[in-house]
Formats: sequence, C-alpha cells, structure tokens
Amino acid sequence: MNGRIILAIAQKDIRDGIKNRYLLVGLILPVGMSLLFRVLFSGASDVATPTLAVYDPGGSRLTAQLQALPQINLLKVDSLTQLETQVRNAGMSVGGIAIPPSFDQDIASGTQPEITVYLNMQKNATQLAALRQLISDQVWALNPAAEPARIHWSDVAPSQGSSASAAFRVELYLLVLFLVMSLTMTGAFVVPLLLVEEKDKHTMEFLLVSPATPAEVVTGKAITGLVYSAIGAGTMLVLNNGWTGNWPMTFLAVLLGALFMVAVGLLMGSVFQTMMQVNTWSSIIMLIILAPTWFTVFQLPPILNTIVRLIPTYYMADLLNLSLSNMVTLSAGATDIGVLLASLILIFGLVIWILRRQET
Amino acid sequence: MNTIETNSLNRSFNGREAVRGISFAVAEGEIFGLLGPNGAGKTTTIRMLTGQLRPTSGEACVAGYDVVRQRQALKSQIGVVFEYQNLYERMTGRDNLLLAARLFGCDTRRVAEMLEKVGLQERAGEPIRSYSNGMKQRLLIARALIHDPRILFLDEPTKGLDPAASRQIRSLVKDLAGRGVTVLLTTHYMEEADQLCQRVAFLCDGRIVALDTSQNLKVAHGQRLVRAVFRDGGERTVRLDDPADGRQLGEWAAQGEIVTLHSAEATLEEIFIQLTGKGLAE
Repeated sequence: MNGRIILAIAQKDIRDGIKNRYLLVGLILPVGMSLLFRVLFSGASDVATPTLAVYDPGGSRLTAQLQALPQINLLKVDSLTQLETQVRNAGMSVGGIAIPPSFDQDIASGTQPEITVYLNMQKNATQLAALRQLISDQVWALNPAAEPARIHWSDVAPSQGSSASAAFRVELYLLVLFLVMSLTMTGAFVVPLLLVEEKDKHTMEFLLVSPATPAEVVTGKAITGLVYSAIGAGTMLVLNNGWTGNWPMTFLAVLLGALFMVAVGLLMGSVFQTMMQVNTWSSIIMLIILAPTWFTVFQLPPILNTIVRLIPTYYMADLLNLSLSNMVTLSAGATDIGVLLASLILIFGLVIWILRRQET
Repeated sequence: MNTIETNSLNRSFNGREAVRGISFAVAEGEIFGLLGPNGAGKTTTIRMLTGQLRPTSGEACVAGYDVVRQRQALKSQIGVVFEYQNLYERMTGRDNLLLAARLFGCDTRRVAEMLEKVGLQERAGEPIRSYSNGMKQRLLIARALIHDPRILFLDEPTKGLDPAASRQIRSLVKDLAGRGVTVLLTTHYMEEADQLCQRVAFLCDGRIVALDTSQNLKVAHGQRLVRAVFRDGGERTVRLDDPADGRQLGEWAAQGEIVTLHSAEATLEEIFIQLTGKGLAE
C-alpha cells in the first residue's frame, strides 16, 4: 500500500465530490433535514414551561422571587431525597435547588450561605444555560452590592440502565435518526457512486494502469467516505448542539458507524457496475439499513424486534442514543460496539475477497 | 532490440475466444499498428499488454517485464491512451495531469511542460467538459506521457476526430517515435496506419492474418498498377508487371498523349478485404 497514491486518489475525490451534484445532495440532505426538523420540533418535548424543583424548609425570599417568574414553574418538595429523585429519575424537572433553612438570616448577617443547584443533564444545553443564568440573576438580586450567596452547581446524570424508562426526547430521536441517515447516505450512496463512476466513465482503467493497485483505489475511496462522514456528522452535531452527551463515546459511535457504512458502500461499489444500478439499489439498501433507527422508540412485535436486531444499524442507533444522552459506559455499550466491529470486519473482508477475485 | 514480444497470446471471455494465439514483436522506437474492424481483438490485445487483463494462455513481455507476473513494475514503463476519452470531466486539464503526476510520483513541474507540448497551456485551468474532442485527445496523450514512458499504447487515437485534430495527433505520434518512444497503436483507419506505422498487423477474429510493412503487404498482395489520364479525357490502367503494357505506356508518354499518371496500387483496406473477406467497417 502506497500512502502517496492513496492520498492522491482521496484528495481528488474529496475535491471532485464538491462539484458533483449527486454527491452534494447525498451529503447536504441529511444535515438540512435535521435542521429543518429541529426547527419544526424545537421544544416539542418541553412544550410546557420548564419545572424547577425547590427544597426550601425555611421559606426564603429566593423561593418567593422564583415563584414570581413567569418563565419557570416551581415545584416545592419536602426533602432532599425527593428533590434529587425529581431531577434524576422522573426526567421532568430541568433542575432543582436546595436552600438552607437559615438562608435569609445568613444573607442578612453577611455570612454568604451556600445553595445547591442540581442540573438535569438529560435536558438540553440551552435550557440548562438559561436556568443557570436565571438562578444567578435571582441570587444577585437579593443583594446587588455584594455576592449574597455561593452557588454550588451539581450535574445530575440519569440513573444507570434507565434508558428504557427515560423520557422520550424528540430532539435526541431526530438527531440520532439524521446522524444515522447522514452516515448511511455517505456510505451506501456516495461511496458506491465514487467507485462506480470510475467504472462508468472508464477512469478506473486509467487508475489501474497507473501505479495504483485496486486495494489502493478502494482505500482512497474509503478515506474519502470517512472524511465526508466526519464532515456530515460533525456539522450535524455542531448545528444541533442541544444535547449533552459523552463526547469520546459519541466519537467512537460515529467512527464505528461511519466505518460500517463505508464498508457497505465499498461492497456495493465492488459489485455494481453502473450508476443506474447504484441509484436503484442504494435506495432499497438504505431503507433496510435505516429501518432500525425509525423503530428505536416503538414497542415492536417480537418477530419484528428480532428482525430489526439482525441489522447492525440497530446497534449503531442504540450506541448513538446512549452516548448522546450520556447514559453510556464501555461495558453498557459493549454489545453495540462488538456487533458493529464484527459487522464491519466481515464486510471489509468480503470487499477484499471480491477485489482479489476480480483481479484474477 | 524488441520492447514488446508476444508468444501465442490467447484470451477468452465466457468460452468465446477474443484473441487467438497471436505472436509478434515490436522493436524499440518503432510505430507498430494493429489493424482490424471492431471486435477483431485489438483492444483486448492492448489490455493484455498493459496488464489490465490476464491472458488465458500464452506469454507477453513489455519493456522486459512479464505482463502477468511483473504487472506492477511494468506500469512505470508504459503510457496508455484509451479508446474512451476517460478524463475527469469536472476537473480542469491541469488537475487531471496533476493527479497523474502524483500517482506516478513524478515532478509536478512536468505538468506545465506536457501542457505546453500538446498546446493546451492556455486552456489548462478550464474544466474538461468545455474541451473539444481534439483537445481531450491531446490531453490524454499528455497524461499518458507525464512519467516519460518507454512505450506508448494508443487505442484508436483519432476515432471521432475531425481531420485537423487527427493531423495534430499524428504529428504528435511521429514526434514521439522520433525521440525513441515505441508506439503501438490500434486503428481501423487504414490511411492513418499507412501514414504512421512502420509495420502493421492485420487482426481479424482474434488472429493475425498478415504482418509486415505497408509497402511489402501492397507488393505481396496487390498488383503494380498505374492509371494514365489522356488528353482526350480517357483513362487506362496499365499493369507494370506486364512487359507489353510497359512498352505501351512508354509510347504514350513519348507521344505526349498522357496528361497525368496515378499510382493504382492496392490500398491496405483492399488487401485486408482480400485476405479476410471482411471490410474494416464491419
């Protein structure tokens, strides 16, 4: 394998792809759709005014101030345990505040009491940022001359294994759906087009009489596919930044997903000979590949549930779901990672076998 | 010294023999033509000699490399101009050549040099889809020569080109051969082969039916004829091999009756038809 040749091919494809309207549609469509749906469904899971749980045994002025604010619903709880439960398990409150009993007196005496604000990490970043700002403003309003109280911010992660019972979040569902769609469009549509266009326009013959080997050509296409996948998925994550998640695991999920889809694309590109074949078959293959993503939130009949689990994208969507909602650990995602790794090794192996067969 | 040698080269596709036991050799610096109609096996032969297709049986050596076992080493020694104008249409002429230069690992300064050689430096920044067929063909030749190969394979280099563009391509090929590059070209234009090639091989149904210089083929398979045009507008064909005809021709010339004399030797196409019973357009 010659790195110079692989890079020359990848560089050519990355530049040339921008001028190809079919490829551009394949790259831009999922990102555009994700933004459109985000606008259409923005706040769909949080239509009501956000709720803030308050534990305030002393009945402080701060609670009274917060109660007067129209942008927030106050839910008074009777204990710290209730407060934490409200934020952690129910997934309903955007956050919770624990106010010490002598809060008002402490402020009056200038001893700077401490309040603890629990932030529900299942809620989106924009809501959490707004809550932080709102609470800070209200605390400072108690005594604008000097910092009246210290605020201890505490991130509350959802309970382990609570993915099934976690509240359904439209924006997360759409983000995962369009992320998988973006990776699928790049892998199962753009990558085979890159390979088949070379065959269709006879430029593959030029590549193969140059020092490039078939393996180097395919690797160049794979790198192009991965770069496009990274651009698509990265753009989508940046533009839909209303999520809190586990960055390293999200990166791993996107990487494995992109590798799997690129392998599928290379397999299609090795088998198909014409653009017509790619256009016809890629739609059908994409429908099958995407199917598990649509049903992640539905209770399917057992037989359908089994079928859906045979498609590796089920595991890709699950891993993305877990990592984007910060509910993943290496052990919790082990099955998803294992299935994705095994699938992509199998498909890459198949591609190499087909290439060797074609060479002879 | 031979730069191309084939020995009983065969290639079958699904049991159908496209090339049947062809053997020939091409000397260094020679322009060699493979002539034949569509489906004669010309492109299949080129594809085997350039390592794109494995022969079913037989052997071939190009630039001293076995085309099967040493295919990768062979690539730096050969340049190929394909039958199809297989350039990257959305890319510019310069970028097409830059890609070739990077693949072959040669100095990218060669790109400007080659563009100048084929007269495309002024249009180098434009996408290929704005090029005429003749320009594309010249760029294909430039791309094939970017790494300074010893042997150039040209598959139907003037197919579909207008006469002016064809002349430019022929002039380029002659220039290359003058600088020691061996050229193997396929064509079904006999006049082109006659003008360019030092030797030609007639290929029909995958077999070589004749191989020699154009002149020798004409002598061996045609008749030595001269067509005389007279003052009164009449015409007569004279056989030079017939002593009586020769004497008669001398008398007409002495009496000043002849206006012009034309060679009426057989064309390569006529010889091809004579040998194969088929036309080149079939």
